[in-house]
Amino acid sequence: MTDVKSEKSSHTASGWSRRSVLKATSAGAVGAAATPLFYTQNAWAEDAIGNYPVKGSEVVLGFNVPQTGAYADEGADELRAYKLAVKHLNNGGGMLDTLKPSKLTGNGILGKKVTYVTGDTQTNADASRTSARRMIERDKVIMVTGGSSSGIAIAQQYLCNELGIIFMCGLTHSNDTTGKDKQRYGFRHFFNAHMTGKALSPVLSKEYGKDRRAFHLTADYSWGHTQQQSMQEFTEKEGWSTEGNIMTPLKTTDFSQYLSQVLNSDADVLVLNHYGANMVNSLTNAVNFGMRDMQKNGKNLEIVVPLYSRLMAKGAGSTNIDGVLGTSGWNWALEDEGSKVFVKTFTDEYGFPPSQAAHTCYVQTLLYANACEMAGTFYPPEVIKALEDFKFTGAGNGDTLYRGADHQCIKDILVMQGNSPSARTSDFDYLKIVDQVDAKTVDYDPAIFGGELGPYVPA
Amino acid sequence: MDMTLNAFTLYILTGLQLGSIFVLIALGLTLIFGTLGVVNFAHGALYLIAIYLAVSINNALGFGLALILVPPILFVFGVLMERGLIQRFYDREHTDQILVTFGLAIVLQELLKWVFGANNIPFAIPSWGNGILMLHDYLPFLEGFVVYPKWRLILVVVSIVTVAAVFALLHLTRFGLVIRAGMRDAEMMQFLGVNINRRFMIVFGLGSMIAGIAGVFGGPVTQVSPEVGMHLLVPSFLVVVIGGMGSLGGAVIAGILIGMAQSFTAPYINLNTVIIYLITVVILLVRPRGLLGAKGVFE
Repeated sequence: MTDVKSEKSSHTASGWSRRSVLKATSAGAVGAAATPLFYTQNAWAEDAIGNYPVKGSEVVLGFNVPQTGAYADEGADELRAYKLAVKHLNNGGGMLDTLKPSKLTGNGILGKKVTYVTGDTQTNADASRTSARRMIERDKVIMVTGGSSSGIAIAQQYLCNELGIIFMCGLTHSNDTTGKDKQRYGFRHFFNAHMTGKALSPVLSKEYGKDRRAFHLTADYSWGHTQQQSMQEFTEKEGWSTEGNIMTPLKTTDFSQYLSQVLNSDADVLVLNHYGANMVNSLTNAVNFGMRDMQKNGKNLEIVVPLYSRLMAKGAGSTNIDGVLGTSGWNWALEDEGSKVFVKTFTDEYGFPPSQAAHTCYVQTLLYANACEMAGTFYPPEVIKALEDFKFTGAGNGDTLYRGADHQCIKDILVMQGNSPSARTSDFDYLKIVDQVDAKTVDYDPAIFGGELGPYVPA
Repeated sequence: MDMTLNAFTLYILTGLQLGSIFVLIALGLTLIFGTLGVVNFAHGALYLIAIYLAVSINNALGFGLALILVPPILFVFGVLMERGLIQRFYDREHTDQILVTFGLAIVLQELLKWVFGANNIPFAIPSWGNGILMLHDYLPFLEGFVVYPKWRLILVVVSIVTVAAVFALLHLTRFGLVIRAGMRDAEMMQFLGVNINRRFMIVFGLGSMIAGIAGVFGGPVTQVSPEVGMHLLVPSFLVVVIGGMGSLGGAVIAGILIGMAQSFTAPYINLNTVIIYLITVVILLVRPRGLLGAKGVFE
């Protein structure tokens, strides 16, 4: 003790040595250089938002998908994709090799191992909110993702926004999700009804002519309404007229009462703004009503399904969907590098190719992780800023922009057509790609749908 | 939309066809309630089992075998269900019966979803029932081109035949006489030496068999997915309530009434969604026992 004391005192007594001056100067230089960085980092660290800061060596993601109910098959495929994304985030592989620009290393997110919890939305807004809240409050997830219906996605998006948790939408196609209901904490990679209308209508008028009369049957909820409006708007721009529109309750299984109305009208095109089981039922019913072999106004009566999925096509059966046109966000037959590597890793893992729902969920998880890496933090406002106006490629839809103004991805979308039973070579190619409509064509002014993103730091 | 004669015909046919499915399901429900006094909420699940069996047999072996096999299988299933579970609840409260049958319905639904997946399974209509019927060829008052799917008209005919067969069984046979007597006073029948329990078991199997017939012909119309049973159960149960609990005639009238109401309100979504409940409320207010319900039953 005495020795130390004396050393200290001798040090003080001798004033500044050359060595201590050098030490102090270099420390000061490092400190000065890092000052702006320290300020920003301290600013994040001071604000706890949602489940930020992330404690421990693991970070938890919440996958909230329909595990029961009408969209359970789609939910199951989404969950497969999420698990694959976690595997790739922790160990590398998959789209980590194709996504550009990317800071993903295959070593988790920001050095933390990625784990996950799952929930069941039951395709029910209340159940989805309860499940999301449980993940946020009990399991401390930093991000929630999932959903296979717009009503559910919007409900979760509002909740997450309020609680300061980023919500990466799964399959949701309503204009409202990134339109009037958009939220600062909500992001959608999937395309929307407006883009469907824009991409599909020119193909329809080329295929079926400009003098057509359309009758719409529309699922009575957020997505159906916006899908109908968009299809009507863009088909009328092509010269078509609209004979009528009937809103059908979501739980309808027999559409004969509505199809009788179509039979009784002058319409020569039937637009089915239905998704999932709804579309399977309405299309099958329409075929039973002979609508695929019928002539109206001297033309063949045509059926259009604006939003297509492989699972729906399979449910309806290839005889019924043969030749029917619609759109998809992605298809496993795409030949770009990102799609190929995703299809290969998914098929190796599960034995069959992924659906478009699986694709969007997988990409959303990677994009969120990459945004954290780019921001250098899990602090939500910084992650949001990293996602906003992020331009990327190698994720399966060509060059893509995550538009900052409404959190909508602007990317290529696909016009699809039902394959005939004889043209089908496997249990997975119910649909074939007719056209890949580029991002520029389907782009639109985000202001047309109104809505406000709100502040970066939730009130 | 103009109400032309063509449109009116389509409305009526659609109403009849929608009503047919309700009648077939409600018939089994009301038969079981009328005789056994059990509110069987698993009846929708019996229909569900029927459509899954029907679609599997139809797609693999053809419609003929589905028609021959499904109703007897459902009969056996109904008997087993009555012996294994339902009979233990005869003396319990209606709420207990509802809870156990509703629980069973959920278990069966999830089981089918587990085996077959949540996605729809396409039900191919046999060639003789496929396509449309040119109504204008048969009905001279129709103008121009008016068509209706053959299969749905077949469904209406099947429904009429089934209803007639059940009425004949109950009113023209000795078995029916015993059953009807048992419905009046089961205790007295037992005093008279009639094994009424065995007959009630057969009635449960019969109700289940009608669900089987409904499944074979209704599957292509309602489609084959796990949600179908529950979707049909509520309107069918309301048909039983409107018609009068336990009244076969009431179920037929109420089924057609509900079908017509759904058909005629189709263009107006708000009305269309609530019309069944609206009719139920009005009828129960005016006539609490239902259209043809027996006095004092559920009044």
